[in-house]
Formats: sequence, structure tokens, C-alpha cells
Amino acid sequence: MPELDAERLARIQMTRVAEPGDPDACRLVREHSAVALVQRLRSGRLPSPKAQSWAERLAGVDVDAMLIAAERVSARYLVPDDPEWPDGLTDLRWLESAAGDRLAGEPFGLWVRGTLALSELSGTAVAIVGARASTEYGDHVAGSIAAGCAARGRVVVSGGAYGIDAAAHRGALAAEGRTAAVLASGIDRLYPVGHDGLLEELTCSGLLVSEAAPGCAPSRSRFLVRNRLIAALSAGTVVVEAALRSGSLNTARWARDIGRVLMGVPGPVTSMMSAGVHEMLRQPESVLVTDADEVLELVSPIGTAPAPVKQGPVLARDSLDDASRRLLDATPLVAAAPAGSIATIAGMTAPQALERLAELARIGLVIRVANGWRLPPTGPDAP
Amino acid sequence: MGTGIAYSVSLDGVIGRLVCVEADISPGIPGWALSGLPDASVAESRDRCRAAIINSFQKWPDLKITVGMYPADVRKVGSHYDLPIALALLLAQGKLPPGCLHSTVAFGELGLDGRLRAVPGVLPAVLSAYDNGVERVIVPAANAPEAQLIDGLEVIGAVSLAECIALLSGEDPPERDDVVPLMAELSAVGRKDLGGEEGDLSDVRGQRQTRWCVEVAAAGRHHLFLEGPPGAGKTMLAERFPRLLPDLELWQSIEVTKVHSLAGLLARDDPRVTRPPYQAPNHADTVPSVIGGGTRMIKPGAISLAHHGVLFLDEALEFRPTVHDALRQPLESGEITIRRSDGAARFPARFQLILAANPCPCGLGYGKGADCTCTPSRRRQYKERLSGPVRDRLDIVHTVLPVSRAEMRQQVGFEGSSLAVAHRVTAARERARARFAGMPWQTNAEVPGFEFRRRCPLPPDVAEPIEDLVARGKLTQRGADRVARLAWTVADLAGRERPGLTDVQEAVFLRTRGVHGCSGGASRVA
Repeated sequence: MPELDAERLARIQMTRVAEPGDPDACRLVREHSAVALVQRLRSGRLPSPKAQSWAERLAGVDVDAMLIAAERVSARYLVPDDPEWPDGLTDLRWLESAAGDRLAGEPFGLWVRGTLALSELSGTAVAIVGARASTEYGDHVAGSIAAGCAARGRVVVSGGAYGIDAAAHRGALAAEGRTAAVLASGIDRLYPVGHDGLLEELTCSGLLVSEAAPGCAPSRSRFLVRNRLIAALSAGTVVVEAALRSGSLNTARWARDIGRVLMGVPGPVTSMMSAGVHEMLRQPESVLVTDADEVLELVSPIGTAPAPVKQGPVLARDSLDDASRRLLDATPLVAAAPAGSIATIAGMTAPQALERLAELARIGLVIRVANGWRLPPTGPDAP
Repeated sequence: MGTGIAYSVSLDGVIGRLVCVEADISPGIPGWALSGLPDASVAESRDRCRAAIINSFQKWPDLKITVGMYPADVRKVGSHYDLPIALALLLAQGKLPPGCLHSTVAFGELGLDGRLRAVPGVLPAVLSAYDNGVERVIVPAANAPEAQLIDGLEVIGAVSLAECIALLSGEDPPERDDVVPLMAELSAVGRKDLGGEEGDLSDVRGQRQTRWCVEVAAAGRHHLFLEGPPGAGKTMLAERFPRLLPDLELWQSIEVTKVHSLAGLLARDDPRVTRPPYQAPNHADTVPSVIGGGTRMIKPGAISLAHHGVLFLDEALEFRPTVHDALRQPLESGEITIRRSDGAARFPARFQLILAANPCPCGLGYGKGADCTCTPSRRRQYKERLSGPVRDRLDIVHTVLPVSRAEMRQQVGFEGSSLAVAHRVTAARERARARFAGMPWQTNAEVPGFEFRRRCPLPPDVAEPIEDLVARGKLTQRGADRVARLAWTVADLAGRERPGLTDVQEAVFLRTRGVHGCSGGASRVA
């Protein structure tokens, strides 16, 4: 590891001292520098009552061990002044002031591992998150959307967990795209253990990101704090499957709170794994999406990536007026009928009908035969 | 005084081997020596033989008796050696005409009063004797109908040792008194009670798509997995499944009867099993009772009793992992081998698998799932209990929805009755059999993959959805084969010469739990 400047080292120490996302710590480090904060903690001049616990933790921090652990997995530590630092994280600052106890702070540094530059995510990445106990349907849709986004150059961000997260990462890798996993554990601790292969593979073209100090164990609360990074690092968040009580909905909430596009993929209303998404989609700030095109339309500047309009086949009869459609309905398919009887059925006079039938015959929707008119063998719904 | 030789059969699973029982009576200190790896039940044979011989008004020789059973290195298990041992002893004493046991196999247990008691495994034993060129068998009268299933074999069904002696000596047999065979109580549990023949499919309300899955499964003999909330009718449908299947072919019937004979499950008067058997073991059952095994003689388990029939595992994910692992071999090869340190037994186990499972351990994870208390990791682990190899062999995977109130009030029409479905299934199977004329297969699911690709290729224009899924990695090659078989079954049910695009889409739908393809078959069902 190259020589680290004092500020960077102090921030690395701080990752162990304060809980990830602690708004006070984040603000103090940003406003006064970590070096100053660490010094004050050492000297006992505590900046806030909360800092008592920080000072106690600081005494036990072994920064060398952290650096060795990070170096072992070739992780690097990024701070906001680095060119690789992404823009999106500053949006978290707006939550800090109103945070209260919520661990919503803008991170003062991030551990990353992999070949992708973290800055590549800014403003364009797509987060795809969802249930761990996903269904085949959810895995399939998450993989397809991820592959579609990755194929169009977007980085797919997710949490590296089982289920939808894994399907999203795999989908992006299958499209030879790039994907980033934001971990709740330390950067050297791949969690869940069953995914160490996937996460290692991901570093070849993508990135692992963690706010926690190396060696940190993942805990329930850290997952929730981690979710804000998934939301903030991407331009929009897609929730593919989520039960009514699901961590993915927490990511969705972060995305909404910092003004990111919030998207949901519907499922059967009888599927428990889609119930949470449906509940989310019923809120006004979220949008229903069904494929990668629709996602890309929403996370791109307005008008730059419109999704193809989906509609059924256009039939020749669509362009007809009401009277002509009535005539078409009245014209028999097999045995021809005289214009008079067709006119009666269609509710118009024979001359009116004749005029229109001639027009319909010209565009091939009816056929004139010796004893009257009938439909062509292809039926009335020819394209 | 002399020696006498009789023949019997030792059974390893359904495979029998001729055993030669030799008795020697010679001067010396009165005593009894038995050699040839007898187990406890054979060793106790002496006391039964002694009492039976004396009670048959014969003399027990107070001399040195040696009984040898050959081949001497094969373990002899079971009480059916009583009769050959007694006959060999009588022959050694000269109480039977020399040569009267020529080309004859004896098989039966002796009561102390000399009565012959029925034993399990007569059919496979007799069959292997016949295959070894034996011309005549002596079995307990209660087992005679079972032995008579084999044409071209002389069967002597005797009620007692005395009757045996008389018949072999060419004398008039003594008058029969009422003989209570060992299997009297078991005969009530004959094939009438093998289950699956009661109730009608139309008893189950709603569930149109599930019925359709059941119909396709029955027509093509495809393995079926039903997942859904408790009370949706999964078990009811599975129980009504065997009635949809046609009768067994003669050769199938013999194979099934052999296994059921070993388990002692045959009806006494009419032992041949003609209907596809149905086995529904409980997840709390012991592993040997499901797979096969046992402490002395290796007995067939539920998976073998379901040979040529249906194995239904309710609450499939609650079964022990050992059971799931043990399903792999039979699913692949149609038989199960149970290995022990002292040998192995092979049983046929070509069953059709129907699995039913709740959506999650607490069973409430359906609909909006608001009441489900399972954590995501528990739900995941629960689903992963179904091992990959078994999962890959399931042709139809269907999520059963709870029955809605509207469906509860609707009667299921005639089209949905067992009779109508069985009729359609039979018609579809006949189409498949016409296609496989001259080949050893009956149904689409039985044909090995490479043979199926060769003999029943899908028209290139309709195979596209399958090839597309394979190319996108959504379907393995095995999966693609299974979809192709399903497509043929759907076409067979629809009475089409060959599958069309809709049949393939339907097959894809059934296999992928509705994630791909599309289904319209349910509209035809009910």
C-alpha cells in the first residue's frame, strides 16, 4: 500500500471508531477533518457527549492490522477528495441534519476492491435489489433487467446477498457488463460465505464497496445503513421482489428520501414475494417497470433513452370509421351476401353501404363476388 | 443312515438364487449341526422341524444330524427353509421315495403341528427357480395362487407337511382341516387397500391449472411437483391420481407383484397386482421403510412398492436428506441398490414421483404472506432441501393457489371427473405407444434423452422457444429434453400428430413454473 497521508489514516481509524453512517461523526470529520477529530478524542476534549464511546473505541484501534487486512485483499481506501470519489454520495448530506438517530450520514471514506472506478457509478448506475428468498420468476426478471442495463453500459449495483441480489450481479456478468456489490461487512469479509465465488469473480470487472472497517462482521443494523449507499450510488433503484417485511423496501425508502428514481417490478398478486413491491408501487413516488428498456428510460436524462412503446398489432380495421367497421362486421365470411342485406344488418341504406363496400374492397378488406360481398379468406382482422 | 437333498431359494431383493439343502443322518452322539451361514431364523428351524415331523406321525432320528446349505458362503435368511430341511431329513431317513424331489424347489415355514405357513417372497423365489430350469415347486397352499401366476411350472400347494409327504409318496393326502395361514391377517391389506383408487378428481374444487398439470403428468408419466398452501387440495389430487392411470401391462404386473410379494402385501385369493400401486410414505417414517432395508432380510421400501406406480411424498421438503439423496439412483436407473457389508440387494423402483410441499416451513407464506413468520434465510433453506438432482428431474412444477370463495361454490363438471380424465389419459398414452411400437417404452417420460431426440425430434420451427431458453442459459440440456417430452404429451392429449408451437409453449410453461412460455391447457380440463 502506498504511503498514506495523515488525514486518510485518521479516517481509516474513524471507520472503526464510529458506526458506519453515524451522522455526527460524518459531519465532524467533514467539517473539521479526521485528524483534528482523532486528536481531540485522544486528548479527552470531546466534541459531543456521544464522543465518549468513540474515545473508548479509539484506544483499541489497531490501524496497522486494518491496513494489513485490506492489503491482503488488495482493497483501497477512498476519501471524498479522490478523483475516484462519486458525486452521488453528497446527496446523503441532506438527510444528515434531519437524521436524528438515523445512521444516514455521508460516508467520509469507502473501502473498495476491484478494477472498476467508483466514480463510474455516479449518476448512471442502476441498483437492483430484492428478496433473498426469491422465486424463479424474480431471479429471471432481475437477471434480465441487470443484463439489459449492463449491456447498455450501466453499472448494476446490488448487495451481494442471495436471491435477487445474486441474480442481478450474475445477469450483469452474463452480459459481460460491470457490477458493484455494496457490502455490510468489512471489505475483507465476503458475506454471505456461499457467495465468495461470485463476489471474487465480480472484482475482475466490477467492484466491491464497503463502508465498514476491515474485519467488521455484518449485522442487521449495518445492512440497513449499507442500503443507503446502494441507493445513493445509483441513479435509480429497482425492487424486483420483496415481501411485506423486507430489507429491500428499506433501500427503496433511502432512494425515495434522497430523490432517486424508485422502480418496482410487479408479480402475481398471489405471490407473497411480490406483496411488498406492490405495496410500494401503490405509493405515488414509485414507478412500475417491466424490463430494462423501461428502467433505462427512467434513469437517463429525459428523452435520451425512450423505451419502445408497447402495443398490440395494428390492424387495417383500426383505421376505419364506425360505419365501415359495422359493415365489415355484417359481411359474411363464407357465403357471400348482397349489399342490401349487409346494409340492413349494418343499419344503413343500400347506396351508403355500396359506396363503402367498394372502398373496403379497394383496400382488400372485402371481396366482391358474383352474388354479392364476402370477407377475404384471411378474415376481418388482416393486418 | 443316508443323505437327502432338497432345493430352495435364497432371496436378495427380488433376485433369487437356488439353494441346495443337504441332510445327513449318521450314527454318533445324537445332535444337530447346521452349516451354510444360517441366520437366527434358520437356526431355529431345528425346533420347528422336529415338532412338525413328530406331529406328522414321522420319527425324528435320535442320531447325529448334519444339515448343510449350499452355496455355503451365501447368507441364508428367513423361515422358508423349514420345508426343504424337513423334506431333506425325511428323504435321508428313507421316508420319501428317492428322486421324488427331482427338479423341485420347496419353500415354506412349518408350524409346530406340521402345518405349512405362508411366507413372503414366493413369487420372486418361484420365478427365479423357474428361470433356473426348475419344473416343480412346493409352496404353502396360501401362497399357491401367487406361484401359479407363472405359466409352465407345476405348483404343489400343500397345507401341511403330512400332505406334502403323501403327495410326494403318491399316497392319498390326509383330509385338510382348517388351516390358518400366516398371511390371513395381511390378506385384508391386499391390493384393494393399496390406496389411490377412491374418491373422484371432481371432489377437489377449483384448481383448474393444477388439474391440468395432473392430467399431463398422468398422460406422459411425468414427475410432478405441487407447491402451495395447506388445504388447497394438493394431497386430495395426489390421492386421486392413480385412478387416472391405465391398468398395468402383464410384465409390469409381474414385476410389481414380485416386489409386493417380498413385502407380504399380496391378496391371498387374487395375488396379482394389476393396478398401478400408490405409495405415500410419511416424512416421519424410517429411512429403510421408504428406501428399503431392514435388520435381517433386506425388504423393499415404499419407493420399490411404488414400482410402475406412483410415489407421493407429501410435505416432501420435510423428508430426511437421506431420503432425497436415495431418490437419485432410482430416478435415474429405475432401481435401487441397498448395499450392506455382507452383500447388496437390488429392487426395481421405476416410480412416478409426485411431490407436494408447503410454500415455507410455517405454511402461511402465500397470498400477501402477511402472517408468515419465516425469515428469508429459513425460507431459502427450506426450498433448498430439494436437492438439485431431484429438482432437475421434475418435469412439471406448479404453484397451487388457495381455492377462492367463488371456486368453492362451483361444481367441477364431467370433463374434470376422474372418468373423463382417465379416458383422455388413456387416449394420449395410446398415441404415445403407437409411436413407440416395437420399442420397450410406454410413455414419453420413460424414453432416454438421446433416444427421444432421435426418434421424436421436434419440428425445427416449433423447437425455437426451447432452443432460445437453452441459448440464454435458462434451461439445461436435460431440461430441454424434458420440455420436449412434455410437448409430445401435450400434443398426445390434444390428439395432434406432432407438437405445434402452442404445445411447446405449454410445455415450457409447465416446466418453468410459468416463468416462460404460456399455458392454455387448463381451459380444456374442467
